[in-house]
Amino acid sequence: MDRSNPKELWEHILTQIELSVSPANFNTWFTQSSIARIEDGIIYIGVPSQFYRDWFLKKFHSLLLKIVRTVSVEFRNIEYVIVKDERRKPRETKVDRATTEMPLDEYYINKSDNLNPRYTFDSFVVGSFNELAFTAAKAALERPGIVYNPLFVYGDTGRGKTHLTQAIGNQFKKQYPNRKVFYLTSEKFAVDYTDSIGAGTANRFKEKYRQYDLLIMDDIHFLSKKEKSQEELFHLFNALYDNNKQIVFSSDRNPALIPDIAERLRSRFAMGMTVDIGEPDSESRAAILKRKAGLHGLVLSDDAVEYLANSVPGSIRELEGVLNSIVCQAQLKGGVPDLADIKQSLRTLARPSKAVSVKQVVTKVAEFYGIDEESIYEKTRRREVVRPRQVIMYLLREDFNVSYPTIGTKLGGRDHTTVIHSCEKVKRDILSDQGLLDEIQKIRTLVG
Amino acid sequence: MYITIQKKDLGTYAHMAARFSAKQHTTLPALGSIVIVAGADGIRFRATNLEIGIDCTVPGEIRSEGVVAVPSKIFEEFISSLGGEGTVTLERKGEVLSVNSGKVRSTLKTVPYEDFPTLPFPPKGADSLTLPAATFKGLVDAVLPSASVSTVRPELASVYLYTEGGMMTAVATDSFRLAEKRASIANARDFSALIPAKNAGDLVSALRDDADVTLASAEHQLALYQGGTVVTTRVVSASYPDYRQIIPKESVASATILRKDFEQALKKISVFADAFQKVRVSFETKKKIFSLFAKNPDVGEATEDIPAALTGEQAEVSFNFRYLQGALPALSAESIVITASGTGRATTVRGVGDSSFLYIVMPMNQ
Repeated sequence: MDRSNPKELWEHILTQIELSVSPANFNTWFTQSSIARIEDGIIYIGVPSQFYRDWFLKKFHSLLLKIVRTVSVEFRNIEYVIVKDERRKPRETKVDRATTEMPLDEYYINKSDNLNPRYTFDSFVVGSFNELAFTAAKAALERPGIVYNPLFVYGDTGRGKTHLTQAIGNQFKKQYPNRKVFYLTSEKFAVDYTDSIGAGTANRFKEKYRQYDLLIMDDIHFLSKKEKSQEELFHLFNALYDNNKQIVFSSDRNPALIPDIAERLRSRFAMGMTVDIGEPDSESRAAILKRKAGLHGLVLSDDAVEYLANSVPGSIRELEGVLNSIVCQAQLKGGVPDLADIKQSLRTLARPSKAVSVKQVVTKVAEFYGIDEESIYEKTRRREVVRPRQVIMYLLREDFNVSYPTIGTKLGGRDHTTVIHSCEKVKRDILSDQGLLDEIQKIRTLVG
Repeated sequence: MYITIQKKDLGTYAHMAARFSAKQHTTLPALGSIVIVAGADGIRFRATNLEIGIDCTVPGEIRSEGVVAVPSKIFEEFISSLGGEGTVTLERKGEVLSVNSGKVRSTLKTVPYEDFPTLPFPPKGADSLTLPAATFKGLVDAVLPSASVSTVRPELASVYLYTEGGMMTAVATDSFRLAEKRASIANARDFSALIPAKNAGDLVSALRDDADVTLASAEHQLALYQGGTVVTTRVVSASYPDYRQIIPKESVASATILRKDFEQALKKISVFADAFQKVRVSFETKKKIFSLFAKNPDVGEATEDIPAALTGEQAEVSFNFRYLQGALPALSAESIVITASGTGRATTVRGVGDSSFLYIVMPMNQ
């Protein structure tokens, strides 16, 4: 028997135990337990719940100790941990395929470390644009706190910074189960700090963050101008760094370019390893699309993937958004969407999601039609005002995704049903009225 | 051991404890039994199935102390059949327990109580939370039917309880529908726990409505204290999805109807539902009609218009009617609002003037 092999050791223990306890007791208490791990001469026995732990401690502890000591005197003690066991997991029984499922999977967050378990290295698509960042992350995990400390990842939004940094956290947890990880955004850090000052618990705040073996702080650029929080981060950084604790930062730009950050903090950001995630090339985008579609159980044809990768502009996040809509439509219609389907749905989806103020749109449209801006907000039904107002509502809804009730309130407290009616009307009219369509296109270029 | 208990009390507590012992045949007889302890702290009944456990004080008189374990099912059945007023004496004689009441004399074979495990009760402490038991039961009961029956995802086969901003919230979902019930409580301390759904019903059944209950939790275990009764359950240590992201923010169509009308129509129309239990709900804003429709090629079809106040656009959404029905028991308001938020998106059901309960149901694919 290999006494460092948990499985073999447990088998040996079971054969011994079976001789000492009644079959009923044996079946009740031991068949659902196993050795979770052996560490520093301590055997950790994994049990299903506290009922088991308490009873093991009370009833079987000395017996178990006696047995393991006959195997080897190296075993100092036995401890009991409550674990989830894959063997106890029931087989999947799908109850309802006809009803759409809630996308709950996207909203799991581990409370103790803030990590979303969905973000792993396995689901991270590596391409030439992020290879360096990926390699650096892996290297940092090999010898955390020593090789690349801090690890600073930067790149534009939607390129996978959060995925990569969270994957570091999740991998760290797996590799070093006894060490503590914490993920947070710099905004959360600042809010937490202000709250602790307000509540008079600044000391607890300091202690809380100093206990982590790996601290991941996302979107560090939000700390710009927040001097007090920066100072706190500076001290925290030093405390962690001096104790060889790994720190990971992410930002949308190079540390040298973050405005309004204390110089001493800036230099610390850059003292470890600074890597950027660039613009994904089209092969990488295609690979990402294939992977994400696969996660939804959808196999897209190569030309469809290629088309999507090249025609959807912007970040990976936008790409994912488009893909989600396609998946949703595929589920509605059934079957795999082909290139034509995708082209069709892209047309309906292609909306610039640019933020724009309602006022701005009103100004531009009023200007275009040569009417008084104020009259838009008034309760007048004059013809020359009604049409521009309807166009404004239509644009706000179609191009900027503003909700019906919001449009109503912003445009002089109108009921949302009025807004819906207006939007529907314009939608109908442009089908038959080429002049109106042209007007709207012109306004679009003005507003955009 | 020799004790005397009022028949009524014995019946109540035997019934209560029996729910906590193992229902199926188990390998360990102690788990299918009620342990009766007569000692310094009175008469106590204990039972567990290793998922949940109970330890309750039973009013009665101790003539001599001792411990005995009896098979819970037989004990409960026999006690409940005694009926009437009067007292019952329980006396241990070697391997049997003699149970006598008036003219009834019986002996019951006991089981070895040494195998009965210690029950993990997290102690009451400064961070325990106390609230009226009726409130707690109301929260759990309102959402429990929506929890998942499959334990593949243990967190969804649970009732999620948490406090925030002076409120305690209970949530359960099987990913097809979700129920959320909120209640304001005094001294809302930080608390959150995932109680396995199959345990939750048994736990609250042991609570009396007219007193407070104290919740004491540890990492893997939760105990409820009420008077001389403590019950405990394993809790699920997993994270719960941030379900509030699911709550639709937009509304496409909305109908306000009488709860009673909806319930009755659903009952009638669902007779015609197909194998997928599909019922189509139509919001015909222009015609001012809210209707239900079901069709089964083997049976026929039916439709019913329900008087409603409608807002929004025209919309049609299909549901598994059981999920729609699931909303009704917890809705106490006379009028309800059903709000659809677009193809493939969730629909919400709320009571008019009742913000404490929210029900979200997902539509069918076709």
